[in-house]
This record gives sequence, C-alpha cells and structure tokens, in this order.
Amino acid sequence: MIAAIPEFGIALPEIVFAGLALVLLMIGTFGKERSMGLVTALSAASCLVAILLVLLMDTATATSFEGLFIVDKFAGYMKVLVLLGSGLSIVMSAGYLQREKLQRPEFPVLILLATVGMMLMISANDIISLYVGLELQSLALYVLASFHRDTIRSAEAGLKYFVLGALASGVLLYGATLVYGFTGTTSFEKLAALHPAEGVQTVGLWVGMALVASGLIFKVSAVPFHMWTPDVYEGAPTPVTAMFAVAPKIAAVALLVRLLMGAFAPLVHQWQVAILAISIMSMAWGGYAAIVQRNIKRLMAYSSIANVGYILLGLAAGTERGVESVLVYLAIYLFMTAGAFAVILTMRRDGQMVEYLSDLAGLSHSRPLLALAMTVFMFSLGGIPPLAGFIGKLYVFQAALEAGNHAATAGMANAFYIAAGLGATISVVSMFYYLWIIKIIYMDPPAAPLDRPAGAGLSGVVLVTTLFTLLFSLTFVVGPVVGWADAAAQSLTH
Amino acid sequence: MLESLAVFPPLAAAVIVGLFGRRSLGDRASQLITCGGVLLSAAVAIWLFVTVALGHNPHTVHLFHWFGSGTLQVDWALRLDTLSVVMIGVVTVVSSMVHVYSVGYMAHDRDIPRFMAYLSLFTFMMLALVTADNFVQMFFGWEGVGLASYLLIGFWYEKPSASAAAIKAFVVNRVGDFGFSLGIMAVYFIFDTVQFDPVFAAAGSKVGMHFTFLGTQADMLATCCLLLFVGAMGKSAQLGLHTWLPDAMEGPTPVSALIHAATMVTAGVFMLARCSPLFEQSPLALEVVTIVGALTAFVAATIGLTQFDIKRVIAYSTMSQLGYMFFAIGVSAYSAAIFHLMTHAFFKALLFLGAGSVIHALSGEQDMRKMGGLFKVIPKTGILMWIGSLALAGIGIPGVFGFAGFYSKDMILEAAYQGGAVGQLAYWLGIAAAFFTAFYSWRLIIMTFYGSPRADHHTMEHAHESPPVMLLPLTVLAAGALFAGWLGYDHFVGEARGEFWGASIYVAPGHDTIEAAHKGPEWIGILPLVVGLLGIFLAYVFYILKPTWPAAWATSLSGLYQLIYRKYYFDELYDAIFVRPAFALGRIFWKRVDVGIIDAFGPDGIATATRSASAGFSRLQSGYLFHYALAMLVGVLVLTTFYLILGGV
Amino acid sequence: MIGLWNYLIVGALVFVIGVLGIFLNRKNVIIIMMSIELILLSVSINFVTFSAFLGDLFGQVFVMFVLTVAAAESAIGLAILMVYFRNRGSIAVEDVNTMKG
Repeated sequence: MIAAIPEFGIALPEIVFAGLALVLLMIGTFGKERSMGLVTALSAASCLVAILLVLLMDTATATSFEGLFIVDKFAGYMKVLVLLGSGLSIVMSAGYLQREKLQRPEFPVLILLATVGMMLMISANDIISLYVGLELQSLALYVLASFHRDTIRSAEAGLKYFVLGALASGVLLYGATLVYGFTGTTSFEKLAALHPAEGVQTVGLWVGMALVASGLIFKVSAVPFHMWTPDVYEGAPTPVTAMFAVAPKIAAVALLVRLLMGAFAPLVHQWQVAILAISIMSMAWGGYAAIVQRNIKRLMAYSSIANVGYILLGLAAGTERGVESVLVYLAIYLFMTAGAFAVILTMRRDGQMVEYLSDLAGLSHSRPLLALAMTVFMFSLGGIPPLAGFIGKLYVFQAALEAGNHAATAGMANAFYIAAGLGATISVVSMFYYLWIIKIIYMDPPAAPLDRPAGAGLSGVVLVTTLFTLLFSLTFVVGPVVGWADAAAQSLTH
Repeated sequence: MLESLAVFPPLAAAVIVGLFGRRSLGDRASQLITCGGVLLSAAVAIWLFVTVALGHNPHTVHLFHWFGSGTLQVDWALRLDTLSVVMIGVVTVVSSMVHVYSVGYMAHDRDIPRFMAYLSLFTFMMLALVTADNFVQMFFGWEGVGLASYLLIGFWYEKPSASAAAIKAFVVNRVGDFGFSLGIMAVYFIFDTVQFDPVFAAAGSKVGMHFTFLGTQADMLATCCLLLFVGAMGKSAQLGLHTWLPDAMEGPTPVSALIHAATMVTAGVFMLARCSPLFEQSPLALEVVTIVGALTAFVAATIGLTQFDIKRVIAYSTMSQLGYMFFAIGVSAYSAAIFHLMTHAFFKALLFLGAGSVIHALSGEQDMRKMGGLFKVIPKTGILMWIGSLALAGIGIPGVFGFAGFYSKDMILEAAYQGGAVGQLAYWLGIAAAFFTAFYSWRLIIMTFYGSPRADHHTMEHAHESPPVMLLPLTVLAAGALFAGWLGYDHFVGEARGEFWGASIYVAPGHDTIEAAHKGPEWIGILPLVVGLLGIFLAYVFYILKPTWPAAWATSLSGLYQLIYRKYYFDELYDAIFVRPAFALGRIFWKRVDVGIIDAFGPDGIATATRSASAGFSRLQSGYLFHYALAMLVGVLVLTTFYLILGGV
Repeated sequence: MIGLWNYLIVGALVFVIGVLGIFLNRKNVIIIMMSIELILLSVSINFVTFSAFLGDLFGQVFVMFVLTVAAAESAIGLAILMVYFRNRGSIAVEDVNTMKG
C-alpha cells in the first residue's frame, strides 16, 4: 500500500522553522563564536517568522500525514504562545551568554529545535507524533539545562532532568502500549470515536491513559511528578530556567489538554478526579514549599508548580469553559513569568549573577523602575486585582465552580467547590512570599546596588511584559485574548 | 462643555498640587494653581448663575456613565438648576476667598501645598455633591466632603487634639452617613432608581404606602425621608449629631470658615431642599425637621452665650443658624432656607476669617478673656467684624436697607409663624435664639475689641493688622454680608421667587408659608429686630456698663450656667454611653478574644502551621534522584491502583 | 503454547526491573542509563506483542521510532554524564545532591 503524498502545507510553519533552525545550526557551526550575534538575532527573527506564518495560516481544522498532524485554532493559539515564550527567552539570553562566556551558537539553535518539538507536540494527533515531538523537545532541553557545562550545578541539573525525564518517557510509552493493546489504535481521533460499548470501559485503557498522562504531567511539573523542577530551575543557566518556566510548560499543557479533551474525551469522568487531585496537590505543594525558599529561581520553580495547579483546575472542569480558562491563564502566565525572569536576569553584582532574595534589597532605591516592574509581577502572580494574574485565576475558579454546578454526582460537585476554595486559600498563602519579595525590595536596608545597565533586550522584555500584566484587564487587551481563547477552545471541543 | 469648568478645576488643582506640590512646584506655584482653579470655577459659577438662574435655563449635562447593575444605573452628570447654581456660586465664591485668605494666613506653615490641595479637594467634593443628578453621585460628594474635612481638621496632625477632633468629625459624620446610605437604599427600594427626576416624579404616587419591618408597619416615604434627614443632621451638625462641629475648630481657621460657610454644613440643608418633592409628601418628616431645627437653633445659641474661645462662639452660632435653616425647611420655606444659607455663607465666612485675623494678630491666641482693646490696633478687622456681626444679628431698617441676615432670618421666622403649631413653637424658639445671637455677638465684639487690653504686654506689642492678601477676601465677603440680602430678597423669597426657582424646589399646594408670611401681621417681622437690638443693648450693659454682672450672674445661676457652659453635657453623655463602653468592649475583644483566642488559633497558629508545612515540603525535596524517582513511582502506582479499583479489578 | 499474557508479563517484568533499577541503585549513574534502556525495551516488547496479536503493523512502526529516539537519548545522557563527571569527579548517584530543599 502506497500512501498518498501527504499535505505538507498545513505544517508549513514547522517546516520553515525547522529549516531555519538547521540553517542557523550550519551558520553557527562554521561561524563559531563570531556568528553568535547573528545567530541569536536570526533565531529571534525565526520565532517571529513562525508566529507570522501561524497567524497567516488557514485556521480551519485540518489533518495531514496520515492523521498524525492536526492544525486548528487551538494549535494556532498555543503555537503563538510557545513561539513568543521561546522568542522572549532568546532575547533575554543574549546578554547573559555574553557575560558568562557561553557564546556558543548552539544555544539559540537548541532553543529553536526544542521549539520545533513543542510545535509538533501541540499539533500531535496521535500518540506516535506526541512521542516524537515530546522527545525532540526534551532532548534539546536536557542539553540546555546542562549548558553551563563548567559548573557543577548546571551539570547536575541536566543529569537530574535527563534521568527523570527518561523515566517519565518510559512510563508514557508503557502507557501507550496499553492504550494500543486495548484499543488497537493510537490515533486521537479513533480513540475519541470509540463507542462506550467497544471496550472504552476497560481498566487496561484507563491505566494506559493514566500512564500516558503521567508522562505529560511530568513535563508540566505537577505533583507528584514535579520533584525535578526546583533543582533544575536552580541549576540551569537563568535564561534556560526562564525558558523552562514558560514554553515547554505551555506546550505540555497544550498536549495534555488535547489528549484528555480530545482522545480521552469519552473517559472524562475517569480522568477528572485524578486531574483534580493532582491540581489540588500542586497548588498546595507549590504554594507552601515556596515559603521557606531563599533562592529566587527555586522560589519561581515552586511558584510555577502552584500555577500549574491552577491550570489543571481549569482542565479538570472538562468543559469548553475550562479549556478557555486554561488558555487565558497560559497567556497571562507566559507574560508575567517571562517578565519576572527578565528582572531576575538583571540581578548582577560585580559581573556575577546573584539569585538570593536578599540580593533584591534596596532595589527600589537603585533601580526604582525595575522594582516597580517586579512589584507588578509579584502582585500579579499573587492574584491581586486588577492585574493579569487575578483575571487568570478568576477564569479558572469560575470554570471550576461551573463544573461543580453541572457535575454528575454530588461528590464530584463538592470536590470542585473544595478545590476552588482551596485554590483561593492557597493563593492567599502564596501572597506571603510574593509580598515578602516586595517587602525586601522596598523596605529592607539596601544591599550593594546591582550592575547597570540591564541591556536593551532585557529592558524591552521587562517593559512589554509589565505593560501587559498591568493593562491586561483593560477591555481592549483582555477582549481579544479571551475571544481568541474562546475560539480556540471551541475548535477543540467541537 | 463650559459647565464642567465650574466643577473640575479644583479637582485638577488638587491632584496636581497634591502630587507635585511639595517636590517640584513649591509653595508659591501651589498657591497660584489652587487659587487659580477655584477662581476660575467661581467665574464660571457666576456665569452659570446668570444664565441658569436669572436666565431661567435649567439643564443637565451628562458627562459619562458611571456604573450599572440591573436597574441600578448611575450616571455622572451636572444637574444645573437654580438650586444647584446658587450652591455652586456660594461654594466657589466663598471657597475662592478662603483660598486667597489662606495664602496669607498659612504663610508660615511648612506644608502649604498639602493644605492648598486639601482645600481644593474639599471644594471639588462639595461641588460634586451639589451638582449631583442622582443619589449615588451625591453620596460620592457627601463622603468626599467628609474625607476632606477629616484631612483638614487633622491638618496639624502632630497636635493630638487636632487628630482627635478629626476622628470625632469623621466618626460622628459616619453615623449620619449611615443614615443617608440607608435612605438611598430606601429610595432605591421604593422607586427602583436613584435618579432624581424619576424619583421626584413618582413621589406623589407613593403616599400612604407601607412596608413591614420587624413586624411593624412603617410608612415608606416617612421612613425614607427620616433616614435622609439623619444624614443631613450629621453633616449639618443638628442637635444630637452636632458634637463634632465645635471641635472642628482644631483645624486651621480658613478650614473652619470653609466648613461653616460653604462646603460642609450646608450639604445637609441643600440635600433636604433638593429632596423637597419627597419631604413635601411626608408631613411627619417635616414636623421632625422643624422640631430638631428649632431646638438646635435655641440650644446652640444658649451655648454660644457662655463660651470664651472666639472660634467656638462663632461655631455655635453656625449651629444655631443651621437650626434656622432646618426649621425653615420643616415649614416648607425651602427658598428661605437656601436664601439664609447664601447670606449666612457670606457673613459667617467673614466672621471666621475676621476671627482668624484677630488670632493672627495675637499670634495664635483664641481665648477672648485674653483679648480686649484691639479696635485701635486692628481697626480694619474690627470694622469687618462689626459688619459680620450686624449681618448675623439681622439688623436693618425695615423698608429701607438691612444687613444680609436681616432679610433672610426674618423671612424664615415669618414663614415659621405660618407653619402651624409646630411652626409657631419654632418661631418662638427662633426669636429667643435671635436674642441670644445678638447678645453673644456683641459679647464677642466687646470682649475682643473694646475695654482694656487683657493680653500680655509682649503680645500686644506684636499685634498687627493682617496683610492685604487676607483683608481683601474679607472685604469681598463683607460686601456680600452687606448687600447679599438686599439684592437677593426679591428673587429668593420675594415677588420673583416662583420664576427664579422654577422646578428646582417643590412646595405642595397649601404649604406655601412664604406666601402666607408676606400677608402676615407686621409685628411678626418686627419682633426679631427688636429682640436683636435688645440683645445688643444687654451686651453693652453687661460688658461695658456693668462688667461685674456676667460673673455675678454666672455664680448666682451656677447650675444653669454650668449646664450651658458644659454644652449640656452632650460630650460627656456620649462618652459615657458610646465611647467608653465601645472602648471597653474593644479592649475585651482585643486582649481576650483576639490575642487570646483568635490569634493563638488563627493567624499565629495558621502562620506557624504554614511554616512547618513549608519546612516539611522542603525536607521532602532531598536532592536525591532516587527519592524523586520514588515520588514519581508512587504517583504512578496510586493512579494505577485508583483505576484498578475504579474498574473493579 | 506461548500466549499474549506470557509476552505481556515479560514486558511488565522488564519494565519493573528497569524502574526499580532507577531508584534502588545508589551507586552508579551508568546503571540508571541501563535501566532506562530496559524500560524502553519492555515498551518495545509490549508494542511488538500487541502488534502481532492485533494483526496491526502500527505497533512495530512505533517500535522503530522508540529505538531511534532511545539511541539519541542514550547519546545525550552519556554526554551529560561526562559533563557531570568532569565537574564532580564522581558518578555515584548519592553524590548528585548539591541542590535540594
């Protein structure tokens, strides 16, 4: 049997992007360190090109490559977020790499390759493309985590990430074999179309689904698959951490959403409970464990775990509204996290990166605008109205409460109410350390001032993300984002 | 939208000076900006008065939609009818004079920009109140005025008495505000809207309707009006909620002038006049207003007899005059009340600023027992105070010319006489108050300006006339005190009044006491003048001819004297009934309940638990790969087991 | 007769051995690498088994992908291990804990 030549057109952004990555790899390989500036600039430009291509592409749902690859509004939305995240990370990394003598052109290229993987994940419509995308992303990220190869912490971060990531992949694959074995297919469409009578209710499939989902939950770093996160965030070079916190997480959430809301939609009552439990645990663990942290990168790691908890709460709703809330939350999360990391990247003293909370003391005196930006991000992460973070949480809680109102059983309804209540409580707890940071910035006796200047790229990222976070609740910002998220959620659930 | 220029320049000035005054603008620029702002407003206000009130062109300018929720739709608008343009005029003119005066009076203060910004904010809030087109916007201005007065009374916040007075003003006003907000809710409950026009239009149809509250039947309109009246009592310092007003003297003198003349205490009078279509439908509410007003006028006047602080005397006179305005409203003589409000604004501001000038001359002395003989030293101030006192006492020659109060106060008393039994009670209390008013006014004049100087030598040597920047506003206000009544009589309460007020004030058929007053017997109008002159004569006897009499009378009537001197023990009473128990209760809740129980198990307990939880989570993060892998595996196992059990395997 | 279950049990056993190898072993990171390979092997066994018994080729295609990725993964893993060894001078699993908390 000879398959027809697949329709390449719908994968145009990925193809062009991957091609650019390879070209840049060549330029970098032959140009060595001299080509660093060029490769970085072109990498950022590639992200921009890919965003434009994604935006220009027909957004109607279409599949290709024997149904392995799907394009729809949901994929478009997620790809734009991921590409934005990667692009911002590349921009933010330039100054850092220069100072740390890490000017190897592989760096932006690796980010690009990881991004290709993420785009594949987002468009995956079969467990096999899921796996390939995931691995392409992961392999690039393992290398990035240990990119600062002369420091033990970076190497250890890479090692831990690799071992645990490989274990997660193994679990995912084992789950895939069960799904395949019990249904005879790995295609999302065919899985979604399985009739309840045709063996959907078999335990083997459920376990398979749980294992596949576990692999993805590892990637989004939710409890109990989150243990790598603080160590890797701390050890990896800061721009890499910034990237880890944003793009791969968005891609993995996208994949998880597509898998559960698409392929395993018939099993919604089975996975809802598990996702809800994981969500609660993540919110709690992330919220509580962050309190005793003194390293700001570690703190951001726990903060991201808690944030994933909120995102999963929206997913657990299992409704279109839930998906919409996840999408809105991701967009907000992207900007405020990237912004916070941009501020962290400016934390240099005598040419050395510093990353303890106490190093922020007196920032309000030496760098008032930066202090203000950090305050905005912290308030937003803490969910203070009317900043972006508050809107995100609002959407998620609304979706959860709505799901509670329409839950099949009273127990499930209560579970949603309790989860939403706990989420609100924990966001109060988490206010503690966000406010703590603000207190250090504004009230503690000033430490030695940080180095200046921050660099144009970094300042630009801080400015853009601050404005977004600050102005998100204005109608002309929140309107289009929510409108797009709504359309994306619809394309997935209909 | 030229009309906006009457309202918003003070706000702009307050914001600019408040934000940048201290750091970048400096004192002089701050003074120029704020004075410029209110003067601009005053100019526009006069234009508005001419076009709207005299040109009979009431209209409403819609600015923007504020918020909406269901049937509760609130716009931000400028309602410009005769009532509001009169108020805008009074507020902006008096306020601009106070602004200019403050330039001189506060010249040596170190926080001039802040003071000027507060003054402008105060003015704006009052303007927002009087231009409101609905109850909610009015409430905004209402609360804003309360806030600004709090800031200004406590302007010298290092002074404990000033801070205490500010808090007192705020808290007592909160009681009134609570009533007002309940009143607004009642309005919304009854009429399903908070816009003035539909509410007033529908007022007649709600007469006699009841609602049940805690098992008792209550008349809807009466309840609503009485609640609104409680609000007015708080702001306008009526008996019961008046205790803050005398203490508000702790603020700088220009603030007192502003509070007493233009921007705060008049709010209650204005609000009742604005709600005339509601009150006209509720005879009960009107009677309550009359009685409270009359008692206030009388009681405040008696207290004024005994006080020695020059500003306190004037403060009680304000309270007393507000009583007049209230019982005027109670007998449906709204236009007379507003007329008196207007004339009173001029002479009361004049008196306060004049008193400020005296205090300024004596380097801060406020006790009249340490004054005397000042006329030779500060003659200009003395003349201005004479004019103010004559206006306050309502002196004039019937049919020829009179000072401002002569026209307005007489009108109120005449109208009250026509207001039935309650009105006549108010009339006689008002006559008594008029007598006391004249007496204490000249007691003040004589103790301050005549006799032998009782201030110490040093102070007298430095006593000096105030600078022109202070005297100029006084002169303007004096002109108002001289001519406002004479000029305004015809329009406000005379022949032209129907046309002048248009639809802004509603008087039910048969309630028109002013009409009746014009036809009433002659002696009703003459009597106030007679008792006024009598009061002046008695003051002359007591303080010039027989200077030993006051002390002798005070001793022989010591019980009564103490009662009045102690302001009828209102402060002590409230202290014993509300303040002390509240503090005691607060202490119990704080020491026993809060610290002992809630904190131990609540915040402190939770904080400790949170910290230990956090440390626990942190310990789990051991750094070992195999622990991390184990955690993952446990997760996988739990999930798998869950599904196996779920599937019944 | 060797049936489906026999194959699946072998696959499961290999998988469990691999997983246990990751967290019971505290000495050598190389053993972890081997355990990962075991896990991937168990997956391959499962896929091929199911493929054969379902009469569907897709499982075997999947195995091709798994094998390819596994090769790349090993390469990268060993490279990271090299980097780590150069910095730390040890590849004992117990020593991999400079970061914790």
